[in-house]
Amino acid sequence: MWTGDIMTEIPNGYELIVFILKFIEIYDPINNVFKSFGLEYLLRIIIVLVEIAVLFVFILLTVMFLTWMERKVVAMVQARYGPMVTGPRGLLQPVMDGVKLIGKEDIIPAKADRWVFTLAPFLIFIPALLVFIPLPFGPSLIISDLNVGLLYIIAVSAISPIAILMAGWASNNKYSLMGAIRAVAQDISYTIPLALAAIAVVLLTGSLSTVEIVSAQSGTWFGFIPKWFIFLQPLGFILFLIASIAEMGRIPFDFQESESELVAGFFTEYSGMKFAMFFLAEYAHLFSVSAIVVTLFLGGWSIPFLNLIPVSLAVLVPLISLGVFLVKTYAIIFFAMWLRDTVPRMRIDQLLNIGWKIMIPLALLNLLATAILLTAGVF
Amino acid sequence: MTWISKDWAMGGIIKGLIVTLKHVLRVGDRPTVTVQYPYEKMKTQPRFRGLHAVDEDACIGCGICETNCPNSTITIVKHNTRWYPQVNAGMCLFCGICVDVCPMNAMKMTGNYELADYSRESLVYGPDRLLFKKEVKQ
Repeated sequence: MWTGDIMTEIPNGYELIVFILKFIEIYDPINNVFKSFGLEYLLRIIIVLVEIAVLFVFILLTVMFLTWMERKVVAMVQARYGPMVTGPRGLLQPVMDGVKLIGKEDIIPAKADRWVFTLAPFLIFIPALLVFIPLPFGPSLIISDLNVGLLYIIAVSAISPIAILMAGWASNNKYSLMGAIRAVAQDISYTIPLALAAIAVVLLTGSLSTVEIVSAQSGTWFGFIPKWFIFLQPLGFILFLIASIAEMGRIPFDFQESESELVAGFFTEYSGMKFAMFFLAEYAHLFSVSAIVVTLFLGGWSIPFLNLIPVSLAVLVPLISLGVFLVKTYAIIFFAMWLRDTVPRMRIDQLLNIGWKIMIPLALLNLLATAILLTAGVF
Repeated sequence: MTWISKDWAMGGIIKGLIVTLKHVLRVGDRPTVTVQYPYEKMKTQPRFRGLHAVDEDACIGCGICETNCPNSTITIVKHNTRWYPQVNAGMCLFCGICVDVCPMNAMKMTGNYELADYSRESLVYGPDRLLFKKEVKQ
């Protein structure tokens, strides 16, 4: 793996911004101005806010692109064109959708619990963004390298069932409540195999930090097979992928909003900007979950051949690794969309049967096998 | 032992995934079948039954189309000293009987299917909008 100076010098995005500011020689003058007022902490806060703004804009753009991509992939499978009119090949369609949704009336049902109803879209949207904090997009493209990164990711993504339940309960609508109950049952039963499959990776790495998980996957076996955990944990990868698709609530497992049964599930009563929040959260969740799969099993931003880059082009390493990370993430996203267009929805009893009777025993078996092989010193 | 007979390799799903992937990658004869409608139109067949057209010279105003029309869509009206059919496209069911019964083969159907309009009155196609003159062969 490429182990240049930048990676060791710059642990996170904050330091990267400071490095860039120092590189164009404006960090010290700015810092002096703030120092003269005794407000150094203000500069730090501003840099963190800039960092968050960049992440936020990036996620929103990605989410908008994903809605377009989803429609295009469905269209390709169904031998249609998909959106074509707005912008080149319909690329500006999400913008038009957003404008339309902002212009819609914001309806709160008369018998709804107003506060909970209003709070739920925000509560589902914020965890979808918070998940990205410990995710490494590149050697230094990470907001914060937490020691408990993976635990943090699983914990934060466990907030979303609460928001779904809030939305379903506050709507005072039988379909919403039914969708919310299903979503919670599904999320709870699939978080367990998800976490168990992730624990097997943690056993191999010996760390919960996402950066260390990625760096443990650098290098190759026999010079050509990359040391990704998908080759050490094929069963774990499949379980994690299925469980994360169930967590996302996408088509083979989309019981929370199964159109033919529950109108639109837990967001039946939502309109306008609040509906858009649920919509964006769904796609942000898709992106974050795919990024987690890539981080845990597909080597994150690392590729075996990144060390061939000459040292003189070391500045490009964050960009190249960002590209590698996005290519892998989009491959997983494409798989989720592809699966959505192929298979029909399951039955709710089948879903719970698979979750409790098949996935959890297999995940435990996977964990046991990993532990035994690790103790025997095979890995 | 029912668990052992299950399709653990998920063969059915993989088979379906391969089919859809072939569609995405356009492997084999899998073209896009829809068209960008307002900008490009599908080709209509020669016997497509769209809006009527009446040959100005051949029509004798006999009214056979009027009596045979199942919805009473056609009425014969006076137009420039002669009698011609007038078609209410809002009532027409595009069965084509008027074309079949015309003794002079004056009535025919065009490929025009974009007949949506803003009022019921404008759906009544008088002779001024239906008539056409056949090219006389020298």
